[in-house]
Amino acid sequence: MKRTFIGLEFIAALIAVVVASAVVWGTLWSAGLVRAAVEKARSEAAAANKSPAQLPPVVAHGQKLFAVNCSHCHADDATGDEGPDLHGLTKSDERIKAIITNGVKGEMPSFGKKLQEEDKEALVQFLRSLG
Amino acid sequence: MEPFLGANIWEMMHGGSTHLPIALMLVSAGFDGLGCFVRPDRLRDQFHAAGLFTLIAGTLGAFPAVLSGLILARWEIGGTGALFWHHVFLWPAFGLLIALSVWRIIVRGRRSKSGLVIYLMAAFIAAFLVSAAGFWGGEIVLGGS
Repeated sequence: MKRTFIGLEFIAALIAVVVASAVVWGTLWSAGLVRAAVEKARSEAAAANKSPAQLPPVVAHGQKLFAVNCSHCHADDATGDEGPDLHGLTKSDERIKAIITNGVKGEMPSFGKKLQEEDKEALVQFLRSLG
Repeated sequence: MEPFLGANIWEMMHGGSTHLPIALMLVSAGFDGLGCFVRPDRLRDQFHAAGLFTLIAGTLGAFPAVLSGLILARWEIGGTGALFWHHVFLWPAFGLLIALSVWRIIVRGRRSKSGLVIYLMAAFIAAFLVSAAGFWGGEIVLGGS
């Protein structure tokens, strides 16, 4: 019997596209739902955050530096805009300071000349305070 | 908000679970590609069988990789910078892996020559996409270092 592409293979391709689309869109849709729930919980937690006056001095200093230097790309609440979300960073303090100092090629400018060591430490402490 | 169990565990799980599907997809495309050239027919069938089973194993392995990655990225499906490019290649690769597996499972050895050629093109595109997603995943971890 002559094998032709139209037939079993075509039907299999249709089924494959439907299944793959359903799985991928289902994954993206589920992720969107979970993300929305997480964002809601985060905004509620942020609403309960301390005002700058209640923060330790080093964290308050870091918050001011963040507002001036970083919030343009990372958003006022550090949840990310052009730059990534900075909540729950898993990198070490030294690694964060190195990124602040050197930047990320093509993505983030360096602040090595602009910020002193104590400024970077204050920024790290502020980022750690975000949770 | 910290990811469930903390980011570190998911960072380790994502790193540990992504490399196997990437490698299996590359090997699967390689087996099927070689299967077109080898003789005799029995050996050719064995190459295609190896391509099928590595493809299915890679597709199954992609699910924990995607889940751990989503948790690690706090359920971000787009993102910015390297994460954005990781996702640009990841989602088509994930879909194509599933589609190829479903197609192979249904058709098995009853495919035509034209069907095999189209499958191979799609398999090599999938291999490129998973490699590119892996490259940008590496940029997220090591970029700027």
